Amino acid sequence: MPALPPLATEAIHAFIVGFIVLNVIIGMVTYVTLLERKFAARMQSRIGPYRVGPHGLLQPIADALKLMMKEDVIPRQADRSVYNLAPIVFLVPCMLIFATLPFAPGLGVADLNIGILFFLAISAMEIVGLFMGGWGSNNKYALISAMRAVNQIISYDLPFIFVALIPVVLAGSLRLSDIAAAQAGMPYVFWFPLGTLAFLAYIVATLAAENRVPFDILEAESELIAGFRVEYSGMKFALIQLGEYAHMIGTSFLGALLFLGAWSGPWSDTSPWWGATWFLLKAMFVFLLVTWIRWSFVRIRVDQILAISWKLLLPASLVLLMATAMVVALRSTGNG
Amino acid sequence: MDPEARKVIELGYGGSERLTMNMGPQHPSAHGVFRAILSLEGETVVGVDAVIGYLHRCHEKLGESLTYTQYPSIASKTDYVAAMCSELAYVRAAEGIGKIEVPKRAQYLRVIVSELQRVASHCLWLGTWCLDMGGALGGGATVFLYCIREREWVLDLFEALVGARLLYGFHQVGGVRYDIPAGWSQKCRETIALVERRLDEYEDMLERNAFFQARTQGVGTISRELAQTIGLSGPLIRGSGVSYDIRRLEPYSSYEDFDFKVPVETAGDCYARYRVRMVEFRESISIVRQALDGLPEGPISSRPGVKSVGQVRVAKGEGYARVEGPRGEVGCYLISDGGAKPYRMKWRGASFSNLSVLPHILIGTKVADVVAIMGSVDPVFGEVDR
Amino acid sequence: MARPPLGESFWRDLYELVLSVGRTMKVTLINLIRRPITVHYPDRPRAYPDRYRGLLALTYDKETGEENCIGCRLCEYICPPQVIKVEMLKAEKRNFAKTFTLELYACEFCELCVQVCPTDAIIMMKSFDMSTADRRELLLDKDRLHQIGLKFEPSWATGNLLRDMQTPPKAVKAGGAPE
Repeated sequence: MPALPPLATEAIHAFIVGFIVLNVIIGMVTYVTLLERKFAARMQSRIGPYRVGPHGLLQPIADALKLMMKEDVIPRQADRSVYNLAPIVFLVPCMLIFATLPFAPGLGVADLNIGILFFLAISAMEIVGLFMGGWGSNNKYALISAMRAVNQIISYDLPFIFVALIPVVLAGSLRLSDIAAAQAGMPYVFWFPLGTLAFLAYIVATLAAENRVPFDILEAESELIAGFRVEYSGMKFALIQLGEYAHMIGTSFLGALLFLGAWSGPWSDTSPWWGATWFLLKAMFVFLLVTWIRWSFVRIRVDQILAISWKLLLPASLVLLMATAMVVALRSTGNG
Repeated sequence: MDPEARKVIELGYGGSERLTMNMGPQHPSAHGVFRAILSLEGETVVGVDAVIGYLHRCHEKLGESLTYTQYPSIASKTDYVAAMCSELAYVRAAEGIGKIEVPKRAQYLRVIVSELQRVASHCLWLGTWCLDMGGALGGGATVFLYCIREREWVLDLFEALVGARLLYGFHQVGGVRYDIPAGWSQKCRETIALVERRLDEYEDMLERNAFFQARTQGVGTISRELAQTIGLSGPLIRGSGVSYDIRRLEPYSSYEDFDFKVPVETAGDCYARYRVRMVEFRESISIVRQALDGLPEGPISSRPGVKSVGQVRVAKGEGYARVEGPRGEVGCYLISDGGAKPYRMKWRGASFSNLSVLPHILIGTKVADVVAIMGSVDPVFGEVDR
Repeated sequence: MARPPLGESFWRDLYELVLSVGRTMKVTLINLIRRPITVHYPDRPRAYPDRYRGLLALTYDKETGEENCIGCRLCEYICPPQVIKVEMLKAEKRNFAKTFTLELYACEFCELCVQVCPTDAIIMMKSFDMSTADRRELLLDKDRLHQIGLKFEPSWATGNLLRDMQTPPKAVKAGGAPE
């Protein structure tokens, strides 16, 4: 049998790996919604989904089936092409961010040597999809919410990037697996005080980038109902939800990688699957932390959100970054 | 009605676009069926036009068709969140005209029940206000569920006393219809002790929370003069520096026997009204304890139990009775012609008068503040539309 | 306790934010550990208090087994939404109700009919469990009302008990208006 050209083998290999990863991510996203619902319910003195399947374990499947079977309603005056494309433009960057995440040493789709740059750049592209959704819906509420969202995400991307750069400075490389490997001894969050503060700032920036309460002025349920998603139903809504939660998990994984020492843990040297498990557990810890904050606070007004970003978080993250850089520089001059 | 509000988008003065947004009768934070036509420039509200009447159920006509024995259970449906206080206003009006005495035990029972109702109503207020501000998927929902959990304990008390949880029919002309069952007094003390402990938790969660303070301080300020001109009552006017509480000014139903503080704050913003209501929570709990301790023995009504529909006849005359409901002054004005039914009945709804402050304080605020202000005004549309 | 708006003083803002976050999250954490208050109705029954105002029913006399209702129509006259309709049937020793219809879907559950009944015929039950998809099933006739009376547990309130609780010890109070 003639051998396939190396490009074709690579392409097929990448396709299969990507396919598997994508499906795993989608499966995880649906069950993360259940985790969030049950966690939030317990914090509110109630039980979450309980009846569908034992202790609600089949609830996400029921939700997915329901969304697939719904009628696809398009508002008459909506800008059809923009309206239909928006969920896809929103979803694709949120899925792409998993391409650079190394789930264990050697277990990843594409371990680029500018991994974190790719992550941050691609995840900023979801704003386009968001705004397309708000505009194409031909709905005042959606438009107001989309405008607020663009405002907010742009303001918070800067501190997010600066805080994400702190582990880069400490590890000396943009490649994500290098950053993870550099934390084998001690995860950066324990490097007091700068590491812990950086982790906290990362959590705040994540909340804002995800439009989670207290920064969820975008969806502001009681004012704007569902924000830019208000005119979407059925499968398109499912895609948008998928994208949101995938982005949520993606930033949780990134947080676990940058600050919590992705796959380091008791038995992680024996096999990559142990490393992947630890990575998953740490990412879920970050996710639950964000969820805990989300279900505890009231939201704040959009001008206050922007004030916090520009006057509080951006200076703080800049200061942290400069301090980290100084420490690293002093250490390296001291060593050699 | 602002004629410009009818057009969808138009160029306002200064060249900025003006958007008319309908905070419509179906809205998660309209607190009932309430329509506010907001004119927005960007995020700032420049015009507000309130439309009410979606919940009109002809209470005042019903009052003319139902007798004094039938109407008290309907009266609870005006302010359905604070049903006991609404019934009390009607029944006191009838007793005032007919000069019907109410025995001491019945008065104490009325006080206990009114103050418990105030606790339950403020629980609902806090929950829905935080729900509006925090979002149905977020911290608002958490505070909402905590407050509803506490309110459920109080409603369980009412269920043990009356049999109903929300709309009672507890009062009758001359006294009350139900006496407390065995063991209720002890259960009541335990419940209000539990609510008091949980109140500490809520204050912890909200009071010094920077997000909450940023959202409520300086928002929706009602000046003292405005409050007195418009005719506000209840926590709205007490939050603006005027010490006006009907339980203190014209004590009814033995309120002069109890020692309680009337909270007054001078700031006039949403945070001040929040503080007023939180202190009222604790004062109500203290009043219930005092009333339970001092509950006298005796009959619970000065008239025999209702045996027929036309049993109560009130002498000819007219009179106005008012009570301090959780939202303000609830009043009932009756004209009696000596028969079994009133000739005319008029409700003074606390929320109706309180809502008239909205055009004054909403102009110039942001959209997000509109919900915070609406929540702190705490309207119940049963009272507004009757 | 006013504080300057957010964004004014950097260190103070930071400090306050961190503290308030910690406090709020502590409360949520405590509630995470508390037992949920959910009652798994209808798998577990709910305990109704004695005076619960549930479904309406007609009763039979405990000793003779006859219907208690004498068709006097007092309940029909006092009902505020007028959901009760009664026709009296005259007989030698006592009267009966020929037909007794109660529109449960419009009933207010105010307990006034129970209050006025001279023979304790109409009472309320400690259950509200009659949900149905067809509103016509809630138009209760006399047989249905008697069935409900036998099926569920009655609550404490009957006409005579309520009136005894409310009537002051001395017979008729001269409290002002004539009766």
